[in-house]
Amino acid sequence: MSKTINIARYNPQTDSRPQLQAFQVESDNSTSVLDALLQVQQQDPSLGFRWSCRMAICGSCGVMVNGIPKLGCKTFLRDYPDELTVSALAHFNVEKDLIVDMQPFLTHLAAVKPYLINDDQSSQPHRQTPAQLAKYQQFANCINCGLCYSACPQFGLNPEFLGPAAITLAQRYNLDSRDAGKTARMPELNSKNGVWGCTFVGFCSEVCPKKVDPAAAVNQGKVASAGDFIISMFKP
Amino acid sequence: MNLKKPGSSKPEPGSYQPVMPRNWWLQHRYFQIYMLREATVLPLLFFIGCLLYGLYCLSLGETQWQHWLAFMAQPWVVLLNLLAFSASLFHAKTFFELFPRVMPLAPPGLMIAGQWLATLLVATGLVLLLGGWL
Ligand code: FES
Repeated sequence: MSKTINIARYNPQTDSRPQLQAFQVESDNSTSVLDALLQVQQQDPSLGFRWSCRMAICGSCGVMVNGIPKLGCKTFLRDYPDELTVSALAHFNVEKDLIVDMQPFLTHLAAVKPYLINDDQSSQPHRQTPAQLAKYQQFANCINCGLCYSACPQFGLNPEFLGPAAITLAQRYNLDSRDAGKTARMPELNSKNGVWGCTFVGFCSEVCPKKVDPAAAVNQGKVASAGDFIISMFKP
Repeated sequence: MNLKKPGSSKPEPGSYQPVMPRNWWLQHRYFQIYMLREATVLPLLFFIGCLLYGLYCLSLGETQWQHWLAFMAQPWVVLLNLLAFSASLFHAKTFFELFPRVMPLAPPGLMIAGQWLATLLVATGLVLLLGGWL
């Protein structure tokens, strides 16, 4: 059956703001929003959007569908009425059509030192028990799609806020038994744009396509940050 | 934050910077419920005001205390306090559900039930204690 897909088009050379343009697409039970966008591109090759894996693992196809952040390849037209609206991820600068500038997101990820930090020089493998793995495994499932940033009103209001994915990533390494870098990460988390910028809206966890639950990680970060503060009061 | 890519000397082509509308929280149900949770503080403020006023009246003596009791019995005050009561129950519900996610000490269902049970016990204890006094 045929459905109408309204796409927020933006051409940086001619437009001052995105404008909706309607397209007709053929849809059956297995047509994803990404499939629909590919159909539209057949009609109008100038449509810009990102995608790669088509199987919800590369994290590049994030768009807003009816105002909710979604992965295009994991969202199906069958779940929508005859008409739906697709626009670029919220809270990021739009470069063209559905393509946003992810640089602020990447900068925030890098700011939390997302790698194992320890003094261990040995070439022996680092052993880890299943229980130690379970502590952080859920937070390690992030695919960096950025949907949680588009869901977060605090990031929308303050682009300097570290945001859900970056804080989750910090928590992922802080909880890793092989890591000793917590002291290096805490200043960033304790700062005014760190964990305390979160007011537990919780929508980030709702939209996460990998069930990472960033809201839980951020609030675990608050507990860690408060602990850090109390310990620092007793240090000379 | 510098959004320019390192090494590019050409001026960036224009990009559209979205602005968040003031009524962003009306956009969808999830944000509305979040705002409702945050707004539960308003009727609670009224309740705390009532309590403080009661303490103040108590310090002034019997007639003022009777005056406060009469004030508290007025329908609109009862209504607002009922609102404060349901608001705090709603806030407790959201809080109890979030707590196991932040501190996963036991299965979530068990933790939520435990928190309600503790609330019930403390509340009953307080009512018995204060009920004996009044
Ligand atoms: S195309 Fe890779 S996540 Fe959708």
